Amino acid sequence: MISRNILIATIFFLAQLSYNNCFAVEPNEILENKKQEARARNISKNIRCLVCQNQSIDESSAPLAKDLRNLIREKIKDGDDDKEIYLFLTDRYGDFILLNPPFKLSTFALWFLPFIFFITGVLIIFMHKKKSKWIKKN
Amino acid sequence: MKNQLIKIPTILFLSILLVLFYLLVIDRDPSKLPSNLLNKNAPEFVADSLLDNEKFLSKKELNNNITIVNFFATWCAPCREEHVYIKRFSSEKKIKVIGINYKDNPEKAIIWLKKLGNPYSNIAIDKKGKIAIDWGVYGIPETFLINSSGIIKYRHAGQITKKIYKKFNLLIKEIN
Amino acid sequence: MVVTLGNLTLWLSFFFSIFQFYNSQKKNNLKLISIAVKGLLISSLLSFLILVYLHVVSDFSVLNVFENSHTTKPFLYKVSGVWGNHEGSMLLWIIVLTIFNYFIYKLYNNKNLVFISKTLSVQSFIILGFIIFTILTSNPFEKIFPVPANGLGFNPILQDPALAIHPPLLYIGYVGLSAAFSLSVATLNSNAKQEIPWFIYMKPFVMAAWTFLTIGIALGSLWAYYELGWGGWWFWDPVENASFMPWLLATALLHSLIVVEKRKSLQAWVLLLSILAFLLSVVGTFLVRSGILTSVHTFALDPSRGIYILAFTALLGGYSLILFASKSKFYFNNNFFAFFSKEGAILVNNIIMTIVCATVFLGTIYPLLIEAFTNNKISVGEPYYNSTVIPIILPAILVMGVGPILSWGKENKFLLLKKILPSILMTVLMTIFFLSIYRSYTFVGVLGVLLAFWIISNNLYLFYIKRIYHSVGMVTAHLGVGFLILGITSSSVLQEEKIIRMNIDHNVEINKYNIVFKRISEVKGPNYIAIQGNFEIYDKKNNIITKLKPQNRFYPITNNFTSEASIHTNLFRDLYIVLGEGNQNDGWVVRIYYNPLVAWIWIGAFTIFLGGILSMRDNFKKVKKIS
Repeated sequence: MISRNILIATIFFLAQLSYNNCFAVEPNEILENKKQEARARNISKNIRCLVCQNQSIDESSAPLAKDLRNLIREKIKDGDDDKEIYLFLTDRYGDFILLNPPFKLSTFALWFLPFIFFITGVLIIFMHKKKSKWIKKN
Repeated sequence: MKNQLIKIPTILFLSILLVLFYLLVIDRDPSKLPSNLLNKNAPEFVADSLLDNEKFLSKKELNNNITIVNFFATWCAPCREEHVYIKRFSSEKKIKVIGINYKDNPEKAIIWLKKLGNPYSNIAIDKKGKIAIDWGVYGIPETFLINSSGIIKYRHAGQITKKIYKKFNLLIKEIN
Repeated sequence: MVVTLGNLTLWLSFFFSIFQFYNSQKKNNLKLISIAVKGLLISSLLSFLILVYLHVVSDFSVLNVFENSHTTKPFLYKVSGVWGNHEGSMLLWIIVLTIFNYFIYKLYNNKNLVFISKTLSVQSFIILGFIIFTILTSNPFEKIFPVPANGLGFNPILQDPALAIHPPLLYIGYVGLSAAFSLSVATLNSNAKQEIPWFIYMKPFVMAAWTFLTIGIALGSLWAYYELGWGGWWFWDPVENASFMPWLLATALLHSLIVVEKRKSLQAWVLLLSILAFLLSVVGTFLVRSGILTSVHTFALDPSRGIYILAFTALLGGYSLILFASKSKFYFNNNFFAFFSKEGAILVNNIIMTIVCATVFLGTIYPLLIEAFTNNKISVGEPYYNSTVIPIILPAILVMGVGPILSWGKENKFLLLKKILPSILMTVLMTIFFLSIYRSYTFVGVLGVLLAFWIISNNLYLFYIKRIYHSVGMVTAHLGVGFLILGITSSSVLQEEKIIRMNIDHNVEINKYNIVFKRISEVKGPNYIAIQGNFEIYDKKNNIITKLKPQNRFYPITNNFTSEASIHTNLFRDLYIVLGEGNQNDGWVVRIYYNPLVAWIWIGAFTIFLGGILSMRDNFKKVKKIS
């Protein structure tokens, strides 16, 4: 009985230390000001958890994710705007930490091409219409 | 005209495969992040020192010679594994090594260093991990190579192995 | 003994595939081809069954069994563990290839000897490529010495029924597209004037592949939703994208086949889409197995495997695309159709599916391109896909509502308006009704709901009025898409979340529910021990709705912790609770979600699957008539 309780207690303790499974924002992190908290959540959703597989820090329960979430909230309280906060993080971790890729020369193709694809699609339809009219005439 | 148009995706397809091939054959670890602070000034900080009562001033510690900065903690198993190489930097290569104790218990750290040996000329305490965030650290151990002007020349994320130790030594020779 | 037999069957498959390749080049060796096809099927099936046997009896002298199994694993997961690893999953690839190979063989009749032989020659080349890959780099029958006493267990998160069945279904999907690829290449290599009904042969294969790909992807998402703990079900992970891209092209392919069959237009589209869809499947395999990127889905890193697959892809892709470039002109035709017509709608759909596919492909490989050219790393995550894919897909949904009603060739715009007036009315009414209950008026939300009801009302109308003129399968599948959009929109826009610390006997309110934290208990499972939170859910009138029991589990064998959410589902909403850390004094962190209409995502996906099954039945009948 005693050894079983010790086992359970150990699990409690270990569990508090080593969760890496999806637990994320904790009650004591939440800011009082709802607008600020909403900003914090939005920014967090755009910041990659660097020690997880394809999660944002908003979703992850990794310690680094928690530190970054707290850092973002502190900066919001200090009065930094979103741009400054993103800059702070990318200065230190590079663009990789942004889940929404930035608008830069190197990502020009990434943002521009979908637009080009769309235009191409419209052109194909347009060309088809022209061809159809030609066929209809002849 | 349509024929020409159709050749484009083929060429595109094969070029993309070529790029992927290139990425496969070079020496690269897809899970590792390159440091964004390379060739920039090492971030300044002031902290408590682990082993004495004076404050740790990075400005003082990092601006004169080639220095290695190593983020470590007692709860980190790979830090324990790589410690032998950290010691070799200091003892064999006579390089100044600074330690930054990350999110740790200071008393435990002192005991740990007594047991395993202390290669660090000075150790800063980073209780909350703020210094680490300023240095772009995302998981310890991480080791930085700083030149005599205080510029970060190299960062290795992860345990120092024999191969990495050799790489560091080569880089140190180059900087000299 | 058994393991040697396993290796033997692999080599048998190798020889049979060469045998089939060689004999299908010549015209009249039907008997030999028959031996090859059946031999391939049997030997690949045997390889697979032998590996299953080795896992089930826990033969740890086999490296694959040691790395992936454990004596305490429940039987079902010992079996599913066979395909949950790289080497075993290659055997699954090969089986699906040989099964589809067999069904291509069954198409033989006195009129298509040369054509089917050409198809079988392409298919056997693909099979050969994968068998060589397996034998050279991924042999599941490798031995290990000394023989360990037990295995390395297996990730407990993956011991789940949905996850167990999801790979085989996915494989039937994207491996099945190989048949379309082979048929396409055979067509391009044949004389266009010969009037072979290649598109009739293609349709059942594409239908089957598309149907199973749909349910495979859906089950993966469903698993993520209830297992991973924050209610997410799609992450734009590169490997998820790798299954989504073939699906998009297969959807376009499916619709285009209808047009080719009825009006002989869009043939070049079909030939190209068949090639690209399968190529994307192979590229997807490359991404997962080469170690070029890390993801929750990737298997172990091994660049040598990557180089092989890349070379094989280059060979297959280079050959087929160059062939298409030179021969496709024989398949362009000048059948007129107006933009406002059924063909026009399908053309628009094709273009949009292709654009979405190209965008997803761009987002997936862009980080790799950046890394190759600039030594920098970037992420392309959910925000990118949301801002690019969603706007592009909206017109497709709009067109999808009205497409089935359009006439072939040309539609009278005025007549069209008359036809869709009732659906427009129904859509508006349904939307107003919906918004009166769920009072959320964001732009995205209202748009999503409008589009969902647009699809649903159009198809309900078809069901009711014109059932005889439209295939039940199509209407069902389209209806499923409507449900899917409704589920996706509501669950993302209308979701409510509460994250708080609760002590025992405390309660919290969310939406119109009252959630009471009754007690913490200890639970023992077959291979885990858990701390369980016991919650009671009450409605406004204080009637108890259900008891929810989220757990935090510890699996001693793999030293893993997992968090199991507890979910109560009905047609209107999910109540989703996750238990965090805590103790008796400070209380426990509890995360509660109210997810409205999320069940409709799964209902929608399943309805699409059902539509596919119904259509498959119709298609097989058609092919039987021709054979």
